[in-house]
Amino acid sequence: MASTLTRGGHRTPVVTADATTPAGRRVRGRNWFGGAAAWIWLVLIMVPIYWIVITSLKTRGTYFIQNPLVPPSDPTFGNYKLVVESGFVRYFVNSAIVTAGAVLPATLISFMAAYAIVRAGGRSRFLRWANSLFLMGLAVPLQATIIPVYLIIIRLRMYDTLAAIILPSIAFAIPLSVLVLSNFVRDVPRELFESMRVDGATEWGTLWHLAFPLTRPALATVMIYNGLGIWNGFLLPLILTQSPDQRTIPLALWTFQGQFGVNVPAVAASVVLTTIPIVILYAIGRRQLLSGLTAGFSK
Amino acid sequence: MSTFAAPAVRAEPGTSGSGGRSGPVAWMAAPALAMFVAFAVVPLLGVLALSFTSWDGIRDITPSGLNSWRAVLTDPQLPHAIGVTFLIMALSWLVQTPLSLLIGVFLAGRQRYRELLAVLYFIPLLLSSAAIAITFKALLDPNFGLGNGLQLAVLQQDWLGKGHLAVGVVVAVVSWQYVPFHALIYQGGVRQIPDSLYEAAQLDGAGRIRQFFSITLPQLRYTIITSSTLMVVGSLTFFDLIFVLTAGGPADATRMLAVDMYQRGFQATLMGPASVIAVILVLIGLGLALLLRRLGGGKPDDSQLEGV
Amino acid sequence: MNPSPLSRRSFLSLVAGTSAAATLAACGSSGPSGPGSGDAGAADYWFLSGQPQENIRAGAVDRFGKANDNKITSAAFPNDAYKAKIKTALGAGQAPTIIWGWGGGGLKSYVEAGQVEDLTSWFTENAAVKDRLFPASFGPATIDNKIYAMPAETVQPIVLFYNKEVFDKAGAQPPQSWADIMNLVQVFNTKKIAPFSLGGQSRWTNMMWLEFLFDRIGGSEVFQAAFEGEKEAWSHPAAKEALTKMQDLIRADGFVKGFSSIAADTNADQALLFTGKAAMMLHGSWTYQSMNTDGGDFVSGGKLGYLTFPPVEGGKGDPSDTVGNAGQYLSISAKASAEQKATAKKFFQSGVLDDTEIQQWIDSGAVPIVKGTEAKLAASTDAAFLKFIYDTASGAKVFAQSWDQALTPTAAETLLDTIAKFFQLSIGPDQFIQTMNGTIGK
Repeated sequence: MASTLTRGGHRTPVVTADATTPAGRRVRGRNWFGGAAAWIWLVLIMVPIYWIVITSLKTRGTYFIQNPLVPPSDPTFGNYKLVVESGFVRYFVNSAIVTAGAVLPATLISFMAAYAIVRAGGRSRFLRWANSLFLMGLAVPLQATIIPVYLIIIRLRMYDTLAAIILPSIAFAIPLSVLVLSNFVRDVPRELFESMRVDGATEWGTLWHLAFPLTRPALATVMIYNGLGIWNGFLLPLILTQSPDQRTIPLALWTFQGQFGVNVPAVAASVVLTTIPIVILYAIGRRQLLSGLTAGFSK
Repeated sequence: MSTFAAPAVRAEPGTSGSGGRSGPVAWMAAPALAMFVAFAVVPLLGVLALSFTSWDGIRDITPSGLNSWRAVLTDPQLPHAIGVTFLIMALSWLVQTPLSLLIGVFLAGRQRYRELLAVLYFIPLLLSSAAIAITFKALLDPNFGLGNGLQLAVLQQDWLGKGHLAVGVVVAVVSWQYVPFHALIYQGGVRQIPDSLYEAAQLDGAGRIRQFFSITLPQLRYTIITSSTLMVVGSLTFFDLIFVLTAGGPADATRMLAVDMYQRGFQATLMGPASVIAVILVLIGLGLALLLRRLGGGKPDDSQLEGV
Repeated sequence: MNPSPLSRRSFLSLVAGTSAAATLAACGSSGPSGPGSGDAGAADYWFLSGQPQENIRAGAVDRFGKANDNKITSAAFPNDAYKAKIKTALGAGQAPTIIWGWGGGGLKSYVEAGQVEDLTSWFTENAAVKDRLFPASFGPATIDNKIYAMPAETVQPIVLFYNKEVFDKAGAQPPQSWADIMNLVQVFNTKKIAPFSLGGQSRWTNMMWLEFLFDRIGGSEVFQAAFEGEKEAWSHPAAKEALTKMQDLIRADGFVKGFSSIAADTNADQALLFTGKAAMMLHGSWTYQSMNTDGGDFVSGGKLGYLTFPPVEGGKGDPSDTVGNAGQYLSISAKASAEQKATAKKFFQSGVLDDTEIQQWIDSGAVPIVKGTEAKLAASTDAAFLKFIYDTASGAKVFAQSWDQALTPTAAETLLDTIAKFFQLSIGPDQFIQTMNGTIGK
C-alpha cells in the first residue's frame, strides 16, 4: 500500500477517522444509500479475511470436504507449526531489520531536510532545487528505476544482503516524508523560532528542541506509512536478494505458496502468521496511527 | 521540475534575523539529497542510459544505439501493455471513486459505529499485496477455491484463466484494498465543508440529493483530485499484486508496463528493452501528474497537488 | 514437488542418444562454460527445494562433509524463482561454487559469459566418473564439444499419466493414438471429469504437448531445424498440423477448466489427477514422486497408470521418441577460488551419486543416471514404474531436450509467451509460426 500512499502529497485532510465530529454536523436525514454501501463493503472486506483465518485452522483433509465458510469443528495449529518450521522466524527478523534500518534513517534525514527547506528555502537556491527534486520523486513511479538500482547494488557488491533492500527503500521514502514534514514544520509559529534564536540556540538545537517535539505526530505518521510500505515491499527483495537467509516476509509468502502447493490451509496459515504482527501493532497503536494520520495529512 | 516546485517552497520571509546565513541550515538537507540522488536520481538517469545499451545481466553492458528503442517501439506488445495499464487504471478509478465517495459521505456522519467501521476498514491497508494476492488466488481457484467448496456455479468461473475476467479480478482486488482508504479521505473532506452551506440549502428547500450534487460534490473538488491522483499514479505500481496474482496472465491479459518491464529484464534477460519500458513508465507517470495538476484548477499555488 | 517443474526443463540434446543408457551424441550445442562464483573458504552449492529430492541432495552434501575436511554449505530454493535468481547471482558475481541446473541453452549462456568452468579435461583424467553415467546424460552438458557440467541425479522423461480408477468407472481404455485421445475427451467431458489436467500458468507445461505433437507428426527434425537456426524452420507443414491439432484439443475442452490460471509449481495439476477431478495428465516423471508423497494411496494403491505419448495417425515420428530431462547438471563457477573448485571436483568424484544417494533416488521412485542399476530398480517397491522409465529412457530413439531449455533465454521467453497466447486461443497456428520464425537466430 505504501507505494500508493506515497503518492499522497497533499494537504487536504486525508484520513480523519478519529476526528471529533462537531455535533450537529450534516443537518440532513439518514443516508440509507451510503449506509448500505458502507455495511456491504464491510462484509466484502471481512469475508476473505474470515475465510483465510478459518482455513488456516483446518487440516488439509477437512479443507476439501467441508463447507469453506464453516469454521472447523476441530481447529488445528499444525499449519502454523509447519510455517514456523519453514523458517518464518528468520524471515520475520529480516523484515524487522529492513524496516527499522530504512525507516529510522529515512525519517531522520527527511526531517532534517524538511527543516532546512522551511527555514532557509526562501533564501537558498540550493534548497529550492533540492525540494523540486524531491517533489518530482512523487510523480515518478520509482519501481521503474529497478534495473539501474540492481546494477548499482551489484557494483557495490551488496547484492543479496539486507542493506541492498534498505538503501533504495530509504531513497524512495524521502519525497513523501519531506513533503509531509515540511508542511508540518512550516506550521510552527515563527515567534518560537525567533525566541530560540534570541536565546542563542543553534539551528541544530532548534531542530531538536523546538521543531522535533512539535512535529512528533507527523513524524509518527511518516514512520508508520514508510514502515508499512517497506515491511510489505515485494519488488526490491525480489530483485535484490536471492538466498533464503536474506528473505523478507512478502517474498517468503510467495515462496511458501510454491512450497505448500495445494495445501491451502498451510498457505492460509502463512498469510495469517505474516499479517498478525502488523495487526497487533495496529491494535496497540491504532489511536496513535489514526490521529497521526489526521495530523500528518490534514496539515 | 520547477513546475513542481513552486507551491511547496513557501518561504518564510523574515523568519529569523539570520538573513543570508543559510549555509549551515542548507547542509541539513544534504544527507537526504545524497541518498535520493544516489538511489533515485542516478538510477533515473541510468535507466535512460541503459535504454541505449544491450545487457543480458551476465555479460558486459555494451552500447547499442537505438536498437532497444526500435525493438520495443515496433513490438505489438508495447501498445498492448500500455493499453492494459490504462485499462486497469481507468477501471479501478471508475469502480473506486463512486464507491468511496458514497461510503465516505456516509462515514462523515455521526453514527456511533462509524468509528468501528473506520477501524475495520483499515485492515486491508495493513496487508501486503503479496498476502492479498495469495488469498484471492486461493479463494478464486476454480478447482480448490471457494466456488468449488460452495458448489456455486456463479463463483466457479475461470477467474484468472480468462483475459477479461482476470482484468476484472485485478480491479476488484485493488478496490478491495483501497476503497476504504479513499472513503476515509472523502470522510475527511466532507467534514471540512462548512455546515452553513447545508443550512442555507435547507432553507432553500433543497433535498438531500440536490444537496449532494450542488454542495458536497463541488466542495469536494480538491479531495476528488487528490484521491484520483493517488489512484491513477498508484495504479502504475500494481506490480506486486499482479505479479503474484496472475503473473501478467493469462497469456498477456494483465501484463501492464511494470510487469512487462520485469519480464523483459529479469526473465528474458533483455535489460536494454526493459529499460526502454521503464523510461516510458516514467514519462507516463510524469505526464499524468502534470495533467492531474492542471485539472486541479487555476490556482497554481494551491496546495492540493503540490506533492504530485 | 518443486523439483519437477524445473527438472522438466532440462532438455536434451536433441537427438542425443539412441539409447539413453547407451549413446550420447554431443549434440549440437556449443559454447564453453565456466564455473560460477566463490569467494574463498568453503564451497557452496545451491539446489532446488521440495521433498523428497531436497533431502537427498542435502544428504549427499552431509555425507561428503563428514567424509572429508573440505566442507560444502548448501542452500535450497523453490524452483519458481531459481532460474531467474541464479542468472542474477551470476550477473552479480555472487554465484555459488556449484551451480545446479538443467544444462542446455541456459548452460550455454553461462558458458558464453565465461561463468562456468570447462570440465572436459577433468573428465578425461577421471574417466571412471564419466563412464559410470548414462552417455545420453552428457548431451545437455556439452557445448561446442566441451563438457561444462557434471550430470547428476535422475533421468526424467515426460510421461502420460492417467487415473486408473477414473478410467475404470468410465469404462475407458488408455489412449493408443491421437484419435483415442480425442474420443476420450468426449467420454470424460460427458461424465463431468476433466480429460486432462494442466498447469497452464507455468507455460512450459503447455509446451510439453507441442513437443510431443511436433515429434509424433513430423519427427524430431522439425524442432531440430529451429534449434539449429534454419530460416523459416517453424513453417514446416508438420508444425502447422501439430498446432492445429493442439487447438482442436483445447477447443474440445480437453483441458481442465481454469488450466491457464493453474501454476504447476503448486502441484495443483497433480492434485487434480489424484483427486479424480481429471483423468489424465502429461507431465514429467518426477511427478510420480510427489504424487506418491501427496496423493494418499493413489500411487501405492496402484491407481496411477502411465504410458508414453501415443502416436498420431499418419505421423512420421518414431513412437519411441521421448522428451524430458536426461539428467540434472552441476557446474562449477569460474569465479570460485581454486580451493573451492578443488572441493567441488572432489564432490563430483566421490560425493555425487554415491551408493546411498543412488538407493535414495530409487526409493523415491526415480531412475538415477547411473549404469547397471537394473537389479536395484527391480527390488524397489516402485519396480514397475522404474522399469517403465528405464525402458523409456534407454529405448528412445531420440531423447529430446525441452524446447525452452534448448533455446537461449531470450528466444525461450518468446516461445513460452507465444505458447501461452496460443493456449488461450488468442493467436492461431499461423501467427504462432510467424512469431517463432522471427526468433530464429536470436
